[in-house]
Amino acid sequence: MGLWIGIGIAVFVGLIVFGMYNGLIGKKNDCENAFASVDTLLKKRYDLIPNLVAAVKQYMEHERGTLENITALRAKALSGGVSSDEAVTLNNQINKALGGIMVAVENYPELKASDNFQQLQRSLNEVEEQISAARRAFNSAVTEFNNAVEMFPTNIMAGMMNYKRRQLFEIPEAERQNVNVSELFKA
Amino acid sequence: MKSDEEFRSYFKKALKPVLAEFEAKRKSIVSKLSIFGGIIVAIAAVALVFVLRNTSDMVAVFFVLIPAGFLIAGLWWWLTHDFVHEFKLAVIAKIVAFIDPELQYQPTGKISRSDFTASTLFKQRIDRYKGEDLVSGTVGKTAMRFSEVHAEHKTETRDSKGRRKTRWHTIFKGLFFIADFNKEFKGRTVVLPDTAEKLFGRFGKVLQKMNVSRDDLVKLESPEFEKEFAVYGTDQVEARYILSTSLMERILNFKRKTGVQVSVSFVHSNVYVALQTRKDMFEPRIFRTLLSFDLVADYLEDLRLASGIVEDLNLNTRIWTKE
Repeated sequence: MGLWIGIGIAVFVGLIVFGMYNGLIGKKNDCENAFASVDTLLKKRYDLIPNLVAAVKQYMEHERGTLENITALRAKALSGGVSSDEAVTLNNQINKALGGIMVAVENYPELKASDNFQQLQRSLNEVEEQISAARRAFNSAVTEFNNAVEMFPTNIMAGMMNYKRRQLFEIPEAERQNVNVSELFKA
Repeated sequence: MKSDEEFRSYFKKALKPVLAEFEAKRKSIVSKLSIFGGIIVAIAAVALVFVLRNTSDMVAVFFVLIPAGFLIAGLWWWLTHDFVHEFKLAVIAKIVAFIDPELQYQPTGKISRSDFTASTLFKQRIDRYKGEDLVSGTVGKTAMRFSEVHAEHKTETRDSKGRRKTRWHTIFKGLFFIADFNKEFKGRTVVLPDTAEKLFGRFGKVLQKMNVSRDDLVKLESPEFEKEFAVYGTDQVEARYILSTSLMERILNFKRKTGVQVSVSFVHSNVYVALQTRKDMFEPRIFRTLLSFDLVADYLEDLRLASGIVEDLNLNTRIWTKE
C-alpha cells in the first residue's frame, strides 16, 4: 500500500516537472516565433523602400540626400550579419527617414495626388500597422516567458534550464518625440 | 452627426403631423379594444358563473379562461398589427432618413440567420430565430446593416408524470450590427464580454485559456480592455493588427457610452457587433400618447447607437490597402 502511494506521488511530481519543462520550452518558442514575424514584416517594409524612392525621386530634387540616406540604410539592413541590436537601431533610423519623406511629400501636391504614390502610402501604412501588431504580439510572448522565468515555482525549473529574462521590443526615446522636420534633412 | 436642436425642429416640422394622424388611429384602437375586450370579458364572466353553478370540477374553469385568453390575444393582433407596420413605415423610416438619407429601412427585414451564425459570437444551437427593423446602407465609405435579433434555443424536460415540457432560452436579444471592416484579414478574432476574469481575477485567465470551444486566448496589453473583454483569435499577430491600440480604446469607450453588453467579432473581412438590450425597440405604444418628443427621441437614440458604430469604431478611415 505504502509503495503504491509512493509511486503515485512520484508520478504526480514527475508530471508537474514535465509540465513546467514543456511549458517553458513552449513559451521560449512562442517568443522566437513572434520575433520571426516581426522580422518578416520588417523585410516586407524594406522591400517597399526602392519603390518609394523611385516614385518620389523625380519630384523631390531637394531631398536627394534623404533618399540616398534611406537607400543606404536599407542596403545595410539587408546585408546580413547584422546583430539584433544593430537591426533595431537601423530600423529606427529607417523609421525616421521614412517619416521625413512623408512630411516632405506635403510640399509636392502633384506627387501626393498621384495614384502610384497613394498606393505606396497605403502599402506603407499597412506594413507599419502590421509591424506594430507583430511587435505587440512579441512583447506579449516575452512577458509570458519572463513571468514564467521569474515566478515561483517555474523559476526553479527555468534556473536549471539556464533561461534568462528577455528584452521587450521598446520604442526608443527618439521615436516617441515629435518629428522635427528641419532636423531630418540635415543628415 | 446632426444636433439635437436640428432634431427638435425636424420633429416639429416633419414628425408631429404624422404622429397626430397615428395618435387618432391609436385612440380608435384603444376604444375598439375596450368595447370588444369588454364583450369578451363579459361573456366569459357569464360562462364562468354558469359553469361554477353546474359543476365543481376546476378543469371546466380552464375551458372558459383559455378560449377567452386566445380571443383577447387574437383581438389584440387583429387591431394592432397593421397599425404597428404602418407606424414603422411612416415614423421610424423618417427618423432613419433624418440620421442619414442614404440609409434604407425595412420594418420586417432582418439580419439573416446565416450572417448571425457567421459571426461565431454565439456558439449555442439556434432553435428559433426572429428579427425585425432592418436598417441598411452606406455610411461614408462603409457598407453596414443592422436589425433587431432574437435567437433562442430550447430544452425539453419530462416531469414526473411523463409530460413533455419545452422551455425557450434566449441566446441573444438586441441589436445586431454588421459592417465591412477597413482592414484586410484572413482569420477570426472574437471579442467577448469578460465574465471569468471579473469574478476570479488571475485565475479567471487560466479558465479562459482552457475554454476549448474558442480559439487561442489573445492577451492584450491594455489592462482596462482586458478587464472588460476576453479576446480569442486564430492568429496572435492578426488579432493585434485588427485590435490596434486605438481600436481597443474605441471599443472600450463605446461600451462605456452605451452601458450594454457588447460583443464584437472580426470574420470574413467584416466586423460584427452584438448589443444586448432588453426592450423591444422601435415599437409604437398603444396605451400612452404618441405625441411625445421623448418617445421619438428614444427611437432616435436607439437607431444612433447602431448606426453610430461606423463612426465610433472609425471604420471610414481607409488608409490601408483595403479601399
